[in-house]
Amino acid sequence: MGAYLARRLAHMVPLLLGITFLSFLVISLAPGDFFSTLKMNPSIRPETIAELQRQFGYGDPLLVRYVKWLWRALHLDLGISVAYRVNVADLIGARVLNTVILAVTSMTFTWSLAIPIGIMVALRPESLTDRVLSFLAFFGMSLPNFFLAFLLMFAALQTGWFPIGGSTSLDYDNLSAGGKLLDRLNHLVLPVIVLGTSGMASLMRLMRANILEMQRADFLLTARAKGLPERVVVLKHILRNALNPFVTLAGYELGNLLGGAALVEAVMNLQGLGTLMLDAVRSIDTYLVMASVLIGSLLLLLGNLAADLALTLVDPRIDFRRLEAGR
Amino acid sequence: MKPAARIVGLLAALALLAGCQQPQSEPAATTPASTAALTPAAKREQRLTTGTISDPKTFNPIMVTDSASGVALGDIFEGLVRLNPKTTEVEPLLAERWEYNGDGTVCTFHLRRDVRWHDGRPFTARDVVFTFKTIFDERVPNSTKHVLTIDGKPLKVEQVDDHTVRFVLPQPFAPLLNSIGSEIIPEHILGEALAKSTFAQQWGIDTPPEKLVGTGPYRMTQYVAAQYIRFRRNPDYWKRDEQGQVLPYLEEQTLLIVPNQDTLYLKFLAGQTDIHYPRPEEIGDLQAKSQQLAFAVNEIGIDTGTLFVTFNRNPRHYEAGGKRNPRLHWFTDQHFLQAIAHAIDKKSMILNCFNGYGVPAVADISPENKLFHNPNLKDREYSLDQARRLLAEGGYTDRNGDGVIEDREGTPLEFSLYTNSGNQVREKMCSILKEDWTKLGMKVNYRPLEFTALVETLEHTLDWDAILIGFTGGVEPHNGANLLRSSGNLHLWNPNQPKPGTEWERTIDELVERGARELDVEKRRQLYWQIEEILHRELPMIQTVRERRFNAVRNYVQNYDQHVWGLYRPERISIAQ
Repeated sequence: MGAYLARRLAHMVPLLLGITFLSFLVISLAPGDFFSTLKMNPSIRPETIAELQRQFGYGDPLLVRYVKWLWRALHLDLGISVAYRVNVADLIGARVLNTVILAVTSMTFTWSLAIPIGIMVALRPESLTDRVLSFLAFFGMSLPNFFLAFLLMFAALQTGWFPIGGSTSLDYDNLSAGGKLLDRLNHLVLPVIVLGTSGMASLMRLMRANILEMQRADFLLTARAKGLPERVVVLKHILRNALNPFVTLAGYELGNLLGGAALVEAVMNLQGLGTLMLDAVRSIDTYLVMASVLIGSLLLLLGNLAADLALTLVDPRIDFRRLEAGR
Repeated sequence: MKPAARIVGLLAALALLAGCQQPQSEPAATTPASTAALTPAAKREQRLTTGTISDPKTFNPIMVTDSASGVALGDIFEGLVRLNPKTTEVEPLLAERWEYNGDGTVCTFHLRRDVRWHDGRPFTARDVVFTFKTIFDERVPNSTKHVLTIDGKPLKVEQVDDHTVRFVLPQPFAPLLNSIGSEIIPEHILGEALAKSTFAQQWGIDTPPEKLVGTGPYRMTQYVAAQYIRFRRNPDYWKRDEQGQVLPYLEEQTLLIVPNQDTLYLKFLAGQTDIHYPRPEEIGDLQAKSQQLAFAVNEIGIDTGTLFVTFNRNPRHYEAGGKRNPRLHWFTDQHFLQAIAHAIDKKSMILNCFNGYGVPAVADISPENKLFHNPNLKDREYSLDQARRLLAEGGYTDRNGDGVIEDREGTPLEFSLYTNSGNQVREKMCSILKEDWTKLGMKVNYRPLEFTALVETLEHTLDWDAILIGFTGGVEPHNGANLLRSSGNLHLWNPNQPKPGTEWERTIDELVERGARELDVEKRRQLYWQIEEILHRELPMIQTVRERRFNAVRNYVQNYDQHVWGLYRPERISIAQ
């Protein structure tokens, strides 16, 4: 397993180099730079912009800038944001926790609902429950996230049950520890519903399809013929096999953590990475964009690796010795 | 099969119930602000909550280039003078009074003696000298230095005594007072950073707020990125009201950072903010709700900027391979330009883009700039017939019956119209323009472009025909010199000219120079009026419309006296009990 891991990690190096270089190229090829917006402000003189550009090293050729960036990134220095003039790492650090909390909560919400519901409807396909839940699932999937966010916030305005956006109340600092937790949770409910429902439908349908397909498998016929109780058939044989693709999916989700919630973050005023990155891309804040690309691709690669490793636990057919021998 | 399904079903039902139950269990846990708004009996704190759309980018007042940072720092730092938003005149702040010498080349400022920095140190002339030394330092990129560089020479700031500062100018410079409102910074805190050339990195947004030391009525106490900024009143502020009470009245201010306009609106309706700056489409709704929710909707004035159409008149763009593109002729032809000016449906624009809350724009300087707006200019009436007549007079007619008009040489009138994509107002305006111009028989290719790409097009490739674009406006007209001067980089229709290409541009150049030197306000106003007349006549910028601005203020907020240029005496805002 060690050798397999080492090889997988080694493969990431050229991949990451490729991804970052391409991203750097694309950002640099986009017309204009961060200072373009300032140029249309009559009270900011072109001389000032030239000074700023010089200070941020905009004069260097593309390749030099990339290598400089890479060299610093290898030393864990992600550079300075042009817009905020502070270290990119500090900017990200201030927001990463919120995004992770939001993503993990909504993922837990989605998965803990979608999988049981998927199983439930698959066991009774084409029943009324199946039809109703499938309809709701598709409804949730087709409703754009930002729109649902507005609907829920409007409902919050009418009822007063939930705060309208934000991640904490204004008097958060004066609350007790328990109060702080409750306050956080209260602010999380609506965004989690919005983000959760969007992924729910596909997961639920996937589960349903997997189980339905499994129902026709020969080994189930054998199991039932052996006289195993239905509970054992479902839990041991059907579920274990049906869960297989979800492990891979979970790996991908890790990579989606960063950007997936940007719109909801913007609408619901959450202090997350998504909006920060969105703004960075729009204002061509190069190093901030590069940091998000780097972190995003690292998470995706590591997530996939973790998923592959987890698969060996779920699926006994996968074996490292065979994998290592195969290469 | 059944038991499993039952368990799962139960779990799902529980999860759903939990989702619904939670709110009912703690309805009182919503923010205190909303309950305060709904229960007038409760004693209200002297605390004002407002909202803004973006995070500050820096806490260093010299390095500010964005409005969000300006908003965040506005109550912490003070300048020598400040703008009175009611009269648009300059009034004393850290300087008590000032006087010019005979020929207007020396301006002496007498500073207040009762001002202390937030850390208790007295504010003196040394701080003023230090501030301007920083501004003129080549390691500190900022725009003020270029504004205050007159004829290539910087102005000199000298200390006379502890409370007197002398500004020595190479020549009389009228925009001085409007340009030296820059926040004064403490030498005893930042002096070392300037000496070590780390000033540009000082006071970034990662600085703990208590380290920011100003002289203003508030101190920043907390900044949570993308959430809020909190301010607490400075108990030792120098200003007193008529009864001798220390200002400001408010104990605390909170600035919520809400990156989405719709959310900002919902927050106001929910009572989580006290002030709201509505978009046109919200005004009707707000007026309907104002009684019930106890707030007032007030008009605060007309937009101070300018939103205009301009045509590319840059000969360099049209001369390729020894041939001159016929467009240059159209875009400098008065028949064509006048026809376009008559084909701008300002009524529709106001109705469609601003829900009726707008005014036609005539001069490039907004009527809100009371000193410099020329009220005598007559708007060209919207008339497609008049436009057609003008085009026909200029020889633009449909010669081959294809529905598109041609010029005398037979070239069909086809051009592209750009604006920045994503700006809904401008996109709607462009579709109105395109519709009318198409009715005149022109072929208009509408091309919205991402803002940065648009700026590059304007600055470098110069490959555009017509553009709808806007600039924000300030009180000091000289700050628009980059646009007015033929050598300016924002002289969009033909930028960076080595020498003025037309007679009227030469005249404007001269008027701009005279306007900067003329200290007599009345004479100075006449100069800018002349510039507005020339622009109105020659049509390099064809004016469209200006938005009327409103605010909505909760009834318990007192003395919130707002104008488009800012708040009048903000230190007197208070909360009624």
